[in-house]
Amino acid sequence: MTTPSTIGGLRQKLSFTNISAIYILIAVLVVFSLWIPNRFLQIGVWRSLLDAESLTSLVALSALIPLVCGALNLAIGTQVGFAAILSAVFLANAKLPIAIQFPLVIIIGAAIGLIIGLLITRVRIDPIIATLGMSSVLLAGMSWVSNSHQILFATDQPDFTKIATTPIFGITIPVFILIAVALVTWFVMERTPVGRRMYAAGYNPESARLAGVNVARLQIGSLVAGGAIAGLAGLLLTSRLNAGDPTVGPSFLLPALTAVFLGSTQFKGGRFNVWGTIISLYVLAVGIKGLQLAGMPSWVNDLFYGLALLFAVGLSRWERSGKRLGAVRRVTTFRSKSKGD
Amino acid sequence: MSTLLRIDSVVKTFPGLTALDKVSLSVDSGEILAVIGHNGSGKSTLVKILAGVYLKDAGQVTLSSSAEHGEEVTEMHFIHQDLALIPELTALENLYLAKGTLAPNDVAAERARARELIGRFGNVFNVDIPVKRLSPGQRAIVAIARALDGWEHPRNVIVLDEPTESLHKSEVDALFQAVRQLAADGAGVIFISHRLDEVLELADRVAVLRDGVKVADEPTASLDHGRLVELITGSSETERAVAERTVSAGAPMLAVTGLRGGGIEHLDLTLRAGEIVGIAGVLGSGREALPTLLFGATPSLADAFELVGRPYDHRFPEESIRRGMAYVPADRVRLGSVREFTARENMTLPELRSLRTRTGSINAAQEREEASRLIDEFQVRPPRREQRFGAFSGGNQQKIMFAKWLRNKPSVLLLEEPTQGVDIGAKAAIYEAVEAAAAAGAAVLVCSSDAKELLRLCQRVIVLRDGVQAEELSGESLTEHHLVLSGYGLKDMEGTA
Ligand SMILES: Nc1ncnc2c1ncn2[C@@H]1O[C@H](COP(=O)(O)OP(=O)(O)OP(=O)(O)O)[C@@H](O)[C@H]1O
Ligand SMILES: [Mg+2]
Repeated sequence: MTTPSTIGGLRQKLSFTNISAIYILIAVLVVFSLWIPNRFLQIGVWRSLLDAESLTSLVALSALIPLVCGALNLAIGTQVGFAAILSAVFLANAKLPIAIQFPLVIIIGAAIGLIIGLLITRVRIDPIIATLGMSSVLLAGMSWVSNSHQILFATDQPDFTKIATTPIFGITIPVFILIAVALVTWFVMERTPVGRRMYAAGYNPESARLAGVNVARLQIGSLVAGGAIAGLAGLLLTSRLNAGDPTVGPSFLLPALTAVFLGSTQFKGGRFNVWGTIISLYVLAVGIKGLQLAGMPSWVNDLFYGLALLFAVGLSRWERSGKRLGAVRRVTTFRSKSKGD
Repeated sequence: MSTLLRIDSVVKTFPGLTALDKVSLSVDSGEILAVIGHNGSGKSTLVKILAGVYLKDAGQVTLSSSAEHGEEVTEMHFIHQDLALIPELTALENLYLAKGTLAPNDVAAERARARELIGRFGNVFNVDIPVKRLSPGQRAIVAIARALDGWEHPRNVIVLDEPTESLHKSEVDALFQAVRQLAADGAGVIFISHRLDEVLELADRVAVLRDGVKVADEPTASLDHGRLVELITGSSETERAVAERTVSAGAPMLAVTGLRGGGIEHLDLTLRAGEIVGIAGVLGSGREALPTLLFGATPSLADAFELVGRPYDHRFPEESIRRGMAYVPADRVRLGSVREFTARENMTLPELRSLRTRTGSINAAQEREEASRLIDEFQVRPPRREQRFGAFSGGNQQKIMFAKWLRNKPSVLLLEEPTQGVDIGAKAAIYEAVEAAAAAGAAVLVCSSDAKELLRLCQRVIVLRDGVQAEELSGESLTEHHLVLSGYGLKDMEGTA
């Protein structure tokens, strides 16, 4: 009847189910260090990994924020793609200066989030359907604006590409941006009243409402914030590629959502959370990088993401599965054909 | 009589806690066994082990084998404390969820059967709307009807975990009649309740659990109310005698005229500071709708609505809380809590403003301290601030929900079934807390299906019938007898008892 001892608490914190990603990371590191040491243990590999995944992490955060409030956003990939195309179009076709183009894309990103939020809360369309529909609309918009071609802007704004590629102390700017966004998101979600209400709204909207939580406003707000971050990710993507590419954005959806769900199995016992998401993403990336360096074909990426998601989430449900089975049994009548149970 | 179910030395532990410690029980055919004990004593855990929801750590559960009854196989039927209904499905679908195979349902026959089963408990309600839109009492009836139906032979075991908590007296009577009939036909019954009068009325034998240990197992004939309390608490302290109430009601805190919406047709109501007002009425009388209307959780119209002396026309929960209203709903699982949150997070959710530091974050130390104080004050057991809400026993969940709303020192307190599922000791504590809140100047509204509760707490009771005020009882006219009759619109034949 006392609170768990600190040793028990520590053991719980370090248990495999709580931080499986860290254990998997260690295993992956050991395996590849032994298997392909001279290709895997290169500083360049790690730098490019850090840089490349910083964008995916931003996208994952922009999916995480509304998901905490109960809105699964399937449009996140096309939101990023649309922002990326707009970034290039504004520079190449509209000849806007970066000082206007940059905030404009973020504002448009936020506005797309607002539209999705209104569809979900005011028109009352289920989040999955609303974002699926929006995703298709944005895909069409991207093709229309770009004619399904890359948009080059290097002659108009040669400086824009420096934003994502200039290193500071050997680390590129998107990594710093990610750290800043992650810190703010973490602070708001886990330290402030707003964050507490967001989780409540996601878990049980009806009782959250009765406890004075404005669920609709939180969902809209979270989709706007997520949309703005998606806009930012789109800008950085175009800056890094030195072109607006309509095919890249949508491919972020799978890794981003995988990381978010994987992340929910980490640290917080089933709660979606910032650090779990980012760490999961990098663990996946390290694994895939290793496989690529070992000469595996590229479809191994998708296989790896899929298996990792199924494995990790399945694992975290394992201990709860007794209850799940029980829920099924409870509604069906328990019959005993033989002695005992 | 042959034994239908035997439980031998069953042990169940949760991390850091033994919920059941070598508990043995048996139920004979035709017998009604009551299992009682304080909140968290392990009653529901035992039920869940029988149902296969939890796996036991040790021990043996034996159902009588088919050999003893020819081809008959003893089944177990359950009414769980949380009812185990699927909220999105209709009452009809819930009733026939586990029945049948691929053969198409005969919906017309099922509906007729459902209406007949439900009709036993009073008015038949719509069986084709999702269960989540039914009132708690109606939902309990659906769960009961499901457990009563589809028996292939009478010699089964039926387990009822606090089935009466949200039922009105007449519905309880109907349930008891049905249960007695089942037992007479040869079923074994396990009945769990905190209402000791019901236990004494219904059971043949009473088993008492205390902190997971069986401390008594005796025929009801040898027991009385006082003895039961002694067995449950382990001391001979009885319920506190009702103090004479000389409350002088103060200024009106809530005044509404012409309220309508939900199940309410037309109602004028004034709640004054320091006053505890009861709302009685059968299912469908508007009793269940009233608090949600006042709180602004369901839309309503009113000719005039004043809260703490100020007009309040655009009503919604967030604003109601800001203006000092608190609402403890009857449905603690769906409406009253976030199961994934800890006790602490649940208790502070409605009012986080006062915990804010200058940087905008929640003051974690202050929050922990407040939560610990509330857990202490409301005797939450086990006193684990950081335990998930869902892992507390039913009665302790109720205490947490109460703590959550009294923490804000509300000026208008709306209570629905405030003591459902709580044991004798905690009930007294909750009553005292409600009275303390009233003494501190809150106006309290208590909607309850339990007439004794209304008598214990309230200075006056408004009886609702068909969405309007049928009667107001106070002083001499406020008796249990009168209250029950009034709910049905019956004339008082014998005069006030
Ligand atoms: N899933 C769980 N995880 C951890 N502890 C649990 C869990 N379920 C129940 N408990 C604990 O086991 C003990 C027994 O709980 P149980 O629900 O059986 O009590 P109960 O006798 O039914 O009480 P009540 O009258 O309040 O319904 C309690 O202390 C409770 O906190
Ligand atoms: Mg219980």
